[in-house]
Amino acid sequence: MSNAWLLYMAFAAGLLAVGIYCLLAMKNLIKLFIGIEVISKGVSLALLASGLARQNILLAQSLVITFIVVEVCLVATALAIIVNIYRHTNSLDVRKLTKLRG
Amino acid sequence: MIFLYIALPLAVAAVLPLVGKVSKKFLPDLMANAVFFLLLVYAVTGGRQLIGEGPFLQKLNWLGESFNIQVAVDGFSQFMLMVIALICLAVGLFSINYMDHYGSKAVYYALLLVMAAGMNGLVLVTDLFQVYIFLEVAAVASYALVAYGLQRDELEASFKYLMLSVIASAAILVGIALLFGLTGGLSFAAVAEGLRTLNAPLAVGLCAALFLMGFGLKAALIPFHAWLPDAHPSAPAPISAILSGLLIKVSGVYAIVRILFNVFGLTPALSQVLMWLGAVSIVVAALLALGQNDLKRMLAYSSISQVGYIVLGLGLGTPLGIAGGLFHLFNHAMAKGLLFLNSGSIQMSTGTRNLDEMGGLARRMPLTAATSLVGSLSIAGVPPLPGFWSKLMIIMALVQAAEWPLAVVAILASVLTLWYYLLIQRKAFFGKLEERWEEVREAPFWMSFSTVFLSLLIIAIGILFAAVIKTWIEPAAGVLGQGAGAVIGLRGF
Amino acid sequence: MVLQIILLGGLVLFSILAILARDLIKSAISLALASLCLGIIFFRMNAPYAGVFEISVVAGLITVLFILTIALTKAEGDVRESRAALLIFPLFFVAFLVLDILVMKGLMSKVPALAGTPEAGGLKFGEVLWKQRTFDLVGQVLVILAGVFAVLALFRKRNKDE
Repeated sequence: MSNAWLLYMAFAAGLLAVGIYCLLAMKNLIKLFIGIEVISKGVSLALLASGLARQNILLAQSLVITFIVVEVCLVATALAIIVNIYRHTNSLDVRKLTKLRG
Repeated sequence: MIFLYIALPLAVAAVLPLVGKVSKKFLPDLMANAVFFLLLVYAVTGGRQLIGEGPFLQKLNWLGESFNIQVAVDGFSQFMLMVIALICLAVGLFSINYMDHYGSKAVYYALLLVMAAGMNGLVLVTDLFQVYIFLEVAAVASYALVAYGLQRDELEASFKYLMLSVIASAAILVGIALLFGLTGGLSFAAVAEGLRTLNAPLAVGLCAALFLMGFGLKAALIPFHAWLPDAHPSAPAPISAILSGLLIKVSGVYAIVRILFNVFGLTPALSQVLMWLGAVSIVVAALLALGQNDLKRMLAYSSISQVGYIVLGLGLGTPLGIAGGLFHLFNHAMAKGLLFLNSGSIQMSTGTRNLDEMGGLARRMPLTAATSLVGSLSIAGVPPLPGFWSKLMIIMALVQAAEWPLAVVAILASVLTLWYYLLIQRKAFFGKLEERWEEVREAPFWMSFSTVFLSLLIIAIGILFAAVIKTWIEPAAGVLGQGAGAVIGLRGF
Repeated sequence: MVLQIILLGGLVLFSILAILARDLIKSAISLALASLCLGIIFFRMNAPYAGVFEISVVAGLITVLFILTIALTKAEGDVRESRAALLIFPLFFVAFLVLDILVMKGLMSKVPALAGTPEAGGLKFGEVLWKQRTFDLVGQVLVILAGVFAVLALFRKRNKDE
């Protein structure tokens, strides 16, 4: 059983890595949003894999469903911010948002 | 009814936009602040009962069928509830005047109430995944609130904050998934029990590291702090106050401490990691604060530094250290909240956040200057204000545990803190009154009311610190000191 | 099991395509395909509810929101991604894969065989969601409120006296 768990977790880790790379390296605001989506897929996979490993798939499903709902709200907020940024700078380039240094 | 802490803000938030169509400013002001006031009263009075009876669990019943809604209150939760309610009330009162020109006040208050409900929920739940959900609730509300003014700076800051927060959430969820796979449980009790009998130090270490990364980012510990110096200054002043004063502590410090102490159990290795994270934050952030001439940015770096103190005290793990850390959490929440609110007053009156442009404002804004002084001195650790006592406790705890290098760091950083706060006071308030500020007026009524209220409270707590520590801090510290035992075998579990 | 691995590979592949694609619409389609793969993976893991949710919400709703945003932000010129980022990616990904496999192999011996907790006696899914995880639903309500208010706040009409 643990072999399957580790297999899924390996793929989930891969998805997370791809997503985080996207967030760090991409310059288009909407591409960054895709990064968020890929990360979410990785996380849902990880949650369900753990549920499968503990043979409690029903519980894992409700977790994943709740997580997806949270994701949708997050995405809606993020897209609202992106649209507003576009209205200000007329571009989707994150390089234009360098006023703040952090 | 403990559930009220979540249900009340939720219910009012749901109706507020509709109310807002009828009465644009008055009713939303009234309703939101009434909720915050009620929450504060409930939190303070609930505390008395708690001390007497010990922690308890509440299961909800609805029409005979028992819903599986479990909320638990123990010393630590009650303490946090009180802090949350207090700062929310101050921020709510301040917003009555400050948010007048931003528009859609009803939606603003609705978001604020949702954030409060989320934070309250976070400290009340007994389950790892639910910690995550309420954390996200508060976070989503905060993204919208940081971007509320819809100016370019605010949007940019909110977006960067969002991006980094997503990484934090992912780390936390993967940690939860791993723990679920290893122990088969999600509630604090189940995971704590499972971890006791498990023998997989590498995997558990990985989980701890993921949690540290995720919650550390929420708490803005170095090296995960990159979002804070942009987000806190750009947000509207009351939101900066609530972010710095509450959110980083509730979703960052409370969560990591609760999980590490009561579920994992504090091991010497974890203790060292926490302490060094704290120490690095204290020093690096204090140094970075020196180079700023934007008032709110300096305050933001100072927040990172002070959270470092809190984590340092808590990470030490000794009763005195934990108590010192928690007391500092309380003091910083009040003082930093106060300072950010004042920065809002200054920004509203003069239109600038740049310290070099200010000068001599004390003559025209005496209340703001005085309350600012109280807040600054409290954080810097000047007696008899409470910040002095909490820092002293942390330093004494370090000395007792023979952690000499850390104690020296804490003391030196304290001097540094005092230095840059006095710098702020001098640049903004004292000195010659610049010509263009001749016509500046003091802040409007509610803004002054809330800042004066906070500063009076700070002074009172400074004088009565022993009583405060006995009623609020010690029960909280006791819960943390019990380690995993605190969650297993909760009455009713 | 083999089919599962193929699907997992497809999932990762489509995700990578979604990130590297030049045209945003192609990205959207790629993302939707990835969601489809994930949905099927969920079905084969005996998690039909999650699969349905994944396909209908992520492949459906979020793709719609995505395309809506693209429509609202027709940029003047395309945003040129830096060439470096696109070229470094394959290197990075291969390096990560190698690390991933090594770590997993290492963990295989360290992680004890997971005992399965017995399936909570024939509970239906609805009961699990409503009875066991009721508080999650409260959380969902709150987060939906947060999202709705956020959108309301961010798209509000600006008054004249700003």
